[in-house]
Amino acid sequence: MQGQGVAVTNQLHENEQVEERAGYFAVSGAHLYTVLHEVAEPLARVLLVGPFASERHNSYLPWVRWARFLAAANIEVLRYDYRGVGESTGAFEAMTLADWGEDVTLLSAWLKERGPHVPLVLHGLGLGAVLAGRAFDAGVGDGLLLWAAPANANQALRQTLMRWVGLEQIFKFGDDRRSASDYIRKLEQGSPLEVDGYTWSVRLWQESFRFALPAMLASEESAAQAYARPVRMVRLTREAAPLAKGGLVGFDDLKDFGWLYGPNREWILAAASMGPMSREGIDHA
Amino acid sequence: MREAPMIQAIAKRELMVLDGLGVRLQGTYHRPAGGLSVASGAGDRVGILFVNSLSLPRAASGDSAVHWADAMAMQGYPTFRIDLPGLGDSAGNASTDLLDRINGGEFASVTTAVMKEIVSRFELSGLVVFGHCAGSVSAVYAGAATSECRGLILLDPYFHLPQAKRPRLREELSGWARRSKVGGLLSNLYDRTKKVSMRLRGGGPPGNANLQLLARWKQVATAGMPVLLLKAPGIKAQGTKPRVGEFDYIDHVMKLAGRRNRVSAEFVKGADHSFANRAGREAVRKHIADWLAVHFPLADFGARNKSNAALRARKDSNESDESQTAAEGQYCAVEGR
Repeated sequence: MQGQGVAVTNQLHENEQVEERAGYFAVSGAHLYTVLHEVAEPLARVLLVGPFASERHNSYLPWVRWARFLAAANIEVLRYDYRGVGESTGAFEAMTLADWGEDVTLLSAWLKERGPHVPLVLHGLGLGAVLAGRAFDAGVGDGLLLWAAPANANQALRQTLMRWVGLEQIFKFGDDRRSASDYIRKLEQGSPLEVDGYTWSVRLWQESFRFALPAMLASEESAAQAYARPVRMVRLTREAAPLAKGGLVGFDDLKDFGWLYGPNREWILAAASMGPMSREGIDHA
Repeated sequence: MREAPMIQAIAKRELMVLDGLGVRLQGTYHRPAGGLSVASGAGDRVGILFVNSLSLPRAASGDSAVHWADAMAMQGYPTFRIDLPGLGDSAGNASTDLLDRINGGEFASVTTAVMKEIVSRFELSGLVVFGHCAGSVSAVYAGAATSECRGLILLDPYFHLPQAKRPRLREELSGWARRSKVGGLLSNLYDRTKKVSMRLRGGGPPGNANLQLLARWKQVATAGMPVLLLKAPGIKAQGTKPRVGEFDYIDHVMKLAGRRNRVSAEFVKGADHSFANRAGREAVRKHIADWLAVHFPLADFGARNKSNAALRARKDSNESDESQTAAEGQYCAVEGR
């Protein structure tokens, strides 16, 4: 096959209709890597708040394709890497959940300023759902879409740990195998833990218990009572791997996710049709 | 509409867009310490190019590629990480048979096109291509295809044609073998049966050897291209030696490399298949720093680097380091096949 060119070329041009601009966005002590899927006259803008650390790599392709899918429907998208992760700068082990929460606030503000009359939707996956949910609860965004939202950051960390331990065990035999609780014990005894090349600080672990999804976002029903802005919460099953629940990179991440993208894009467009919301006096809570 | 405050360059890095045979490719350039000017020897200087490992984005597992690229740039080598078509932030869509396509050399032509563009744009003498796992396959194909390639850094390369996804029953059997003592014993018995079968076959490469890739390897290795081959501990393996009953590809490719070869094969103790764990990442960084200083010394940095360059002699076939069982080999459809 060598010399025959690249099989993906034919599919390039439909993506090229939308400009994708990568850049660095300055935050305190670091630069966030961002990619803007720019649309001339967008129906909505969406900030994609991705999953935690190593989960970024697992879900990268379906996440990028989701951004392109939205952009093709005239929805402008900004996606980014957490501070200290991926292409962003900063030392991961020094980061806190509060730092990552600040990333959402700063990028939302910038995206909103690109056109105040265009509705802004926050979309979070995994830990990103907690970060997006907290920002939304604080009044950011005109709509909120959550995929696989954990109750708190600790659940997201545990899911990451479980996945890592599960895969690690594939390569271990007998007594060499360690359980997730062995590693959790280590963290709780005050030792940092290296998971998939990222050093989890004890502070991060402790903070994760308190860093919760707002109570009003426990369900769509409670969210509807609390906020006058649209909220959609989607549970992801194994079918959505590697966006959630395992999966094999180099295989599952290359699947067609149209079944997931389509209905969620329709929801975003419907939410956007309600227009941008004024923050004052609209939410009940 | 407000203009983006997003910037293309920060202190040590710069974002770059490349033309991959008509496909828009996204990459990151790590500027070398001391800058890159003709006066500082840019024209004689090689750069380093990272290509994706299977479908991972260009940062790689645990952002290890970012770490290594920063380190190489600090050493004075302009370093580039790119996303190949359909991967990471580059345009296009990769298909579910990506692994087969990579094993067939799908990315060779686009990689060589990118290499020519980088060499020309940055006035380099050539590039060393860095590939991990499936990325090392793309690196070998590219190395054989262009004179711009001056060397290869290969992490856990494989020379067979693995299945992207093993049958469920086989996965379950393997899982049971790892968990249970009886399963472990049966697994050892199975390995020994495979060993006997391999001997009966005559010691040649097995039926699923990637002969096309082995031919490209032979081409680059016998030509005397410097190659650094780093091997992480494998499942039930000993050093660079494979698990009992598995064909010893490292030994095979070293024989194929011929007498003039400049191939250094190193065992990275404590690493996992991703090399992203702290021990693996650091060991890889040191191996590469030493190897670069010997094979591609820099005028500006040479004196300092040479004193640190204790390039390890190629491990002989009786690797003494006892293998630790591979740990975090996740993410990869290739590992453990």
